[in-house]
Amino acid sequence: MKTNKIASILLSLTGAWGLFSCEKEITLDLNSVNAKYVIEGEITPNQKATVRVIKTVDFTEPNDFPLVKGANVSLSDGSGNTEKLVETGEGVYQSQKIVGFEGKTYSLTVMAEGNTFTAQTTMPTNVKLTGIKVQKSSFSPPGSTAENYIIYPQFIDPAAFGNSYRFIQTRNEEKYKSIIVANDNIGNGLPNSRPILSPDFEIVLGDNVTLEMHCIDKPIYDYFFSLNSVQGNGPGGGTIPTNPVTNIKGGALGYFSAHTQQKISIEVK
Amino acid sequence: MAKLKFIVFCVLMSSFRLLAQEKFTISGTLRDKASGEELIGATVVVKEIPNTGKAANEYGFYSITLPKGSYTLKGTYIGYEEMTKTVNLDKNLKIDWELESGKMLQEVVVKTTKEDDNITKTSMGTEKLDIKEIAKLPVIFGEKDVLKTIQLLPGVKSAGEGNSGFFVRGGAADQNLILLDEAPVYNASHLLGFFSTFNSDAIKDATIIKGNSPANYGGRLSSVLDVRMREGNDKVFQTSGGIGVISSRLAIEGPIQNEKSSFMISGRRTYADMFLKASPDFSDTQLYFYDLNAKANYRINENNRVYVSGYFGRDRLGFGDALGIDWGNKTGTLRWNSIINSKWFSNTSLIYSDYSYEFKVSGGDNSFVNQSKIRDWNLKQEFQYFPSPKNSWRFGFNTIHHTITPGSLINETNANENDIKEDRKALENAVYVQNTYSVSSNFSMDYGLRLSSWSILGRTTYNIYDRDVKTDSVVLGEGAFGKTYFNVEPRLAFNFILNEKSSLKAGYARNTQNLHLLSNSTSSNPTDQWIGSSYNIKPGISDQISLGYFRNFAQNNYEFSAETYYKALQNQVDYKNGADVQTAPDVESELLYGKGRAYGLELLLKKKSGKFTGWVSYTLSKTERLIDGINEGNWYSARQDRTHDLAIVGMYQLSPRWSLSGNFIYYTGDAVTFPSGKYEVAGNTAFYYTERNASRMPNYHRLDLSATYEKPRKGRYQTSWNFSLYNAYGRQNAYTISFEDDENDPSRTRAVQTSLFRWVPSVTYNFKF
Repeated sequence: MKTNKIASILLSLTGAWGLFSCEKEITLDLNSVNAKYVIEGEITPNQKATVRVIKTVDFTEPNDFPLVKGANVSLSDGSGNTEKLVETGEGVYQSQKIVGFEGKTYSLTVMAEGNTFTAQTTMPTNVKLTGIKVQKSSFSPPGSTAENYIIYPQFIDPAAFGNSYRFIQTRNEEKYKSIIVANDNIGNGLPNSRPILSPDFEIVLGDNVTLEMHCIDKPIYDYFFSLNSVQGNGPGGGTIPTNPVTNIKGGALGYFSAHTQQKISIEVK
Repeated sequence: MAKLKFIVFCVLMSSFRLLAQEKFTISGTLRDKASGEELIGATVVVKEIPNTGKAANEYGFYSITLPKGSYTLKGTYIGYEEMTKTVNLDKNLKIDWELESGKMLQEVVVKTTKEDDNITKTSMGTEKLDIKEIAKLPVIFGEKDVLKTIQLLPGVKSAGEGNSGFFVRGGAADQNLILLDEAPVYNASHLLGFFSTFNSDAIKDATIIKGNSPANYGGRLSSVLDVRMREGNDKVFQTSGGIGVISSRLAIEGPIQNEKSSFMISGRRTYADMFLKASPDFSDTQLYFYDLNAKANYRINENNRVYVSGYFGRDRLGFGDALGIDWGNKTGTLRWNSIINSKWFSNTSLIYSDYSYEFKVSGGDNSFVNQSKIRDWNLKQEFQYFPSPKNSWRFGFNTIHHTITPGSLINETNANENDIKEDRKALENAVYVQNTYSVSSNFSMDYGLRLSSWSILGRTTYNIYDRDVKTDSVVLGEGAFGKTYFNVEPRLAFNFILNEKSSLKAGYARNTQNLHLLSNSTSSNPTDQWIGSSYNIKPGISDQISLGYFRNFAQNNYEFSAETYYKALQNQVDYKNGADVQTAPDVESELLYGKGRAYGLELLLKKKSGKFTGWVSYTLSKTERLIDGINEGNWYSARQDRTHDLAIVGMYQLSPRWSLSGNFIYYTGDAVTFPSGKYEVAGNTAFYYTERNASRMPNYHRLDLSATYEKPRKGRYQTSWNFSLYNAYGRQNAYTISFEDDENDPSRTRAVQTSLFRWVPSVTYNFKF
């Protein structure tokens, strides 16, 4: 057998590579369960607290989540102030007097249709976001543009261990949907050196990029970290899915977060 | 009084006479005539005394002690021609056998021995694979793979489509002790599991023991897969190899000094990346693996022989210099076999084993690296003693020094010392004794005891947790001993031979495991970490009872077996929900503990000789876990729980040149977790999950076909072509099912099934000269 003959056979077979993987939508007989409450609450510096209460729907239904109206939502700030939140929109409740302060611990109680849910969160001391650095990316996975950029949030992690951050990246008014969180398990007390990797959200020359940084407490870090890791479905199956680790007690999904908020925008040039 | 003394004297004398009835020992080795390779498990049978067959040990050595007399001995081995020798036993004899491989390709199928080993031997849940036997089975990309063939046996389940990972009797993938020339292989897979580290050119045979292993094995809960490399032909030089779709192989072997020493080197390299380079999208992509097996042996004299063997393999996957991951194993074994005398055999092994991975991401100025390593030094000493044909002993010790570098994510350009995790060291010791004894012609037993220990060694700090709250810590100085765990592991097996054709076997075994593989993924990843027992992690314990019925039909042409088992597992380790496996300062804070249970029925019907050979295997099983903190503390189906699993394997010798083979696989879906509902949070759709693993993947089935053409031999040249078609009817089996927003219609979500490998044709050209 001559080698060129073998080579030609091999080459003709390489066309088979394209057949190796295929995707199709399927219909599964998924369990239908009683709807669960989902609470999403936030309080930021000098801003009123906002709490949204919705319910889950079955997988096969449209993404139309029932808003929970007429709930009894109350908030206390750990300094003796407690108030009942006002329903300002359907399923959306807002505080009237209590606003966020760094270092304060807030307690939330939601009573809806005979169920009671509680949550606590502490607003961490702010870590100053001093700027954002843009750099040409050397990361070019198949299908990406050769010239794409990544951004580095500029801040110095405090010496004390236990800081957590969440980032929200926007490109020309379009929000990057992936959840980005970080903590100081790596690089405690050092200037940040970790970029925001967004391979499926390319940044190119001329883009207007906004970065929002939240300083969050550990339970909220755990919530977003687990929301990210347990919902992913990578090749080979990814992590065994579960519900994220929530700080809400009483059996509701979601989170209640007191966090600081900073925003910086730049144009990539 | 004098009378009594006389009686005692007579009794003593008679027993002395009994002892003095002269006995002699026949011992030697069994080898392949053409290559000089030892034949592991080949048998020497004494015709005059039924059931005295003695199987050669793992180095081809046998020993039989018989009363003085004339005997007819038969040397037999599957696929080899039987040999007969008559001896007049009036002194100790050394008889070596050189058996000739059956000429399967001639017009007349050679009458090879039909063994009834499965009836007469006590061992249960044990299957031996001869590499030559499995060479013609269809496999994906034409890569012969012992790990994929064992998945066709009952009680052994594949970890997924095209995957070399396997689960035995409800055990997790890390509960299999995979040995290559006695060295543990910590990650036996290449290319994310699609290929195994075992290059079949370099391998002589493989034995899998499903939990009832004798006391000389230990350290894993579910199974032992003992793979032995070939020694290399000690008579003539030989080159063999193959060119396939995915990889090419080349092996060279031959004598260093004729019939005194020999060597074998075998290498393999894939070239998938070369095809990828042809596409501009993938020009930066690296995707390959290679491995190298080498072995040499030297006969110091008639009774002493040394072997040195090693394996080195590495995988590389990357995109330019921005993202890369590489991983691999290294093993080395230095062995000294000694035939002390005709009844005593000794083996001493010094073994090195190493597995490491490195994951690197760089973006701009910074690059991050996550690396982890496990490294062992291992000393084994074993003595084998053959006092009589009915009785044989094995005893010895094993001591292993482990060093584990836990995975830590480090910024290479701007490293922070605190990010680097300290090495963890441990000493694992075991002493064991095992006896095989034929009580009578229809009852034999195999029993043993293994005492094992695991000691944590300094220098490291160990934290103690109550759930994930740190309650205490222990600081160990360099070389200081921390906690030591001791375990007693009894191993029992009984064989009741009902008649010539059938037997009933029962067994109980306890196994323990001190090295745990942490994985939070539904499939195995090269970055899964090994962690040793510590203050929080207790040694895993499994207790298995099994019962089997074995029956042969048609002059041992057909073998049937039915085995059932129940296994209880203690101290199982899992990640808690949402565990941070990459950056947590101490991974032990992310763990949960629990127990497991597994039970099942395994049926196997095998046709061993004739033009048509093959088997049908079926498994019915259940595997569950109970872990405090998962599924609200209720029992749930383990990820490897699969109710029905069927494999049909057939090989047909169509003509001297052509042989055909096929296999059909059917199994019901694995346990998985699918969402029960959905909601919106942080602007994204999220899924709501209720019970762990309460759903099932769709059922899986597939047919593979293969044809092998062997060209007529030209002088030294032997060539063959193998054509195979994987998934012949192109079934779209679900590899993963994911849930996502519908890109075309944001108001709804959809379930998407990804399938791999429909109709994968391949061709392999093999040569030998």
